[in-house]
Amino acid sequence: MRTIPRWICALCALLAALAAPAQTAPPKAALCVACHGSNGNATIAVNPSLAGQTARYLYLQLRDFQEDRRSDPQMTPIAKDLTRDEMRALADYFAAQKPAPQPFKADPAKAKLGKAKADETLCTMCHLGGFAGQNEIPRVAGQNYDYVVKQLRDFKDKRRTNDAGNMTSVSRTLSDADMENLGHFLAGL
Amino acid sequence: MGINGSRLRARATWLALCALGSGIASAQEVQGGGAATGAAVPKSISVSQSRLDGAAKDSANYLHSNGSYAQTRYHAASQINKGNVAKLKPAFVFQTEVVESMETAPIVVDGIMYLTTSYNHIYAVDAKTGKEFWHYKHKQGPVTTYCCGPNNRGVAIMGDRVYMGTLDAKLLALDAKTGKVLWSQQIDDPEKGYSETMAPVAVNGKILIGTNGGEYGIRGFVKAYDANDGKLLWTFYTIPDKGHEGVWAVNDATNRNMLRDINAEKAQLQSGGGDFYKTLGGGVWMAPAVDKETNTVFFVVGNPSPDLYGKERPGDNLYTDSIVAVDLNTGEKKWHYQYVAHDVWDLDAVSPVILTEAKDKSGKMRKVAVHGGKTGHVYVHDRATGELIRFSEAMVPQENMWVLPTQSGARMLPGANGGVEWSPMAFNPKTRLVYAANLHQPMTYHVEEAKYPGGKLWLGGAFKVIPSEKQWGRLAAVNVDTGKLAWKVDTEQPLIGGVLATAGDLVFNGEGNGYFRAFDAATGKKLWEFQCGAGVNAPAVTYMVGGKQYVAVAAGGNTQLDFKRGNSVFVFALP
Repeated sequence: MRTIPRWICALCALLAALAAPAQTAPPKAALCVACHGSNGNATIAVNPSLAGQTARYLYLQLRDFQEDRRSDPQMTPIAKDLTRDEMRALADYFAAQKPAPQPFKADPAKAKLGKAKADETLCTMCHLGGFAGQNEIPRVAGQNYDYVVKQLRDFKDKRRTNDAGNMTSVSRTLSDADMENLGHFLAGL
Repeated sequence: MGINGSRLRARATWLALCALGSGIASAQEVQGGGAATGAAVPKSISVSQSRLDGAAKDSANYLHSNGSYAQTRYHAASQINKGNVAKLKPAFVFQTEVVESMETAPIVVDGIMYLTTSYNHIYAVDAKTGKEFWHYKHKQGPVTTYCCGPNNRGVAIMGDRVYMGTLDAKLLALDAKTGKVLWSQQIDDPEKGYSETMAPVAVNGKILIGTNGGEYGIRGFVKAYDANDGKLLWTFYTIPDKGHEGVWAVNDATNRNMLRDINAEKAQLQSGGGDFYKTLGGGVWMAPAVDKETNTVFFVVGNPSPDLYGKERPGDNLYTDSIVAVDLNTGEKKWHYQYVAHDVWDLDAVSPVILTEAKDKSGKMRKVAVHGGKTGHVYVHDRATGELIRFSEAMVPQENMWVLPTQSGARMLPGANGGVEWSPMAFNPKTRLVYAANLHQPMTYHVEEAKYPGGKLWLGGAFKVIPSEKQWGRLAAVNVDTGKLAWKVDTEQPLIGGVLATAGDLVFNGEGNGYFRAFDAATGKKLWEFQCGAGVNAPAVTYMVGGKQYVAVAAGGNTQLDFKRGNSVFVFALP
């Protein structure tokens, strides 16, 4: 039977591929941890946590920084020097890390208003139930409050446009209070 | 009726969600290493060019995804007919391991069926018993980008090989007997939004294939590859590097003003230049038709990118939203005809071209190319020149055409899915009717300025369904000689999937609620139905084995309209 060994080989390769990214940090990850925290849990709240983020999103953001569709004084120069393979390795590594509990204490009243606004705005249609993210749409559950609020403002004011305007369209009707409430809601998830 | 509130809510802004399909790391995607498992087909498979040429008259086999090079989807078998179809029963159900959207048109040759699933699996199956022979799972590359579901619409067959396009934008040739991959060719870069869901077309030693990506800022094309070794033979770009501004058309093909600000467009072209052709879209994602007598390939071209925001892509955006004829041997353009210039509604041209004959205005029979549009019209063209002989009356309601999209949303009918979406039509030469699966989905069109996002979803706004307005479907029969509707059957759910017509005076069509039905080709009277348990959103096929006729259709549901998913191909026969 030729098919059995081949099947076992494929399975072994698959298991190896699944296990690899979680165990070893790629060399370039050392560049990331100063701002994004060890294992991708950022303690500086204006920076995003990367742990548990979707690999697809992380990869695309690195590529956008490199190609100037998204810009940031820290991220842009770092991304410029990465190869596509390095980006994929970083994305896979941080996606495989476990998100730590969020130290930010969300205000329950504001979080409740934030949830109502999220329901009304149909956020989960793209960000998925539980705000777990999928593909090019990021996980935002448990994300840092300061970072979330800054991104919403940047989308609204078109300082961030690398999503081709989807979030600009969404945030057009959000007030400052709405954004803060959403930040409380999401940080607490 | 049948579409509840939550469903409608879930469908709102569906196109904005198309991105969600990109790169889902599902089990189906990562399993397998490029080789088929299972057993070889227990006979040799050989499909000569003359068999492919004669497919329209071949009552035993189903050799092209749309039945023949003319793509009429009219099959010569008549054992199952309007007198006995009421007795049709399942002969077997083939279950795949992929529970996701099915759009496959199975190919059947000498009693062997080749069917595909989402994520590019192929099964070779005994078409009489459902016994599985081999199973191929494509291992996708690290990034795949596609809207509207991880679909596949089937293989092409020629010689002893089957050919499939993949979500990671490859073209594969496999041994039809064993499923072994013989060659693999990267068509374009999946990171830039290129992907394949269409069934290729095999002709004269060539494999023809286009590309998806109109929602991602691709530059569309049709390519021809050498069937033997996968070498690229020619490329026809659907967006020319020069001249894509066209003639600054004021009206659409039906003489309605498209409300363009042509002076502003000209100024924009002057100041911004024409380099946007590199990201202007124009996907070709349904199988082309081929006229062997004149060596001509006919196809329709999809929408410009970004879908709704037109300011930075001034001009007619040729050859988006057009029917195009090119030379089979060289890919050189013969003619084009544009339906909607400078489209900002995604009301593009998708449903595959049908080649037949129809009367012109003086009553003379002419060779024609026929397309069913998202606009809701059936367009009939002279095959040699592209001249529009007629367009049909609208098959679905049209309102407020062509109101321009706004930031807060402008309502216009049809919605961005049509009319006729990708669903292939069928044509019965006896009734003179073309059968079209239509949708009615009222939508508002929203525009938002949007820079090219580098291979990510690029709509330049949003399409939103209007939750308070009912959606429905319509199977419409249109006389190609007059453009008049002969009959119509309205359905609970918007129709997507396509139509089969047979010499048994029957028309077969499925619905998202699981019903697969047969209708009288002349009157539209429902003669039979069967509940398949998941959305029937794929075109049916028919064939004969051992003197017995079968009808096969996939019931896998649909991602784009969120119809219930399944994993099965149902095969029916008379008891």
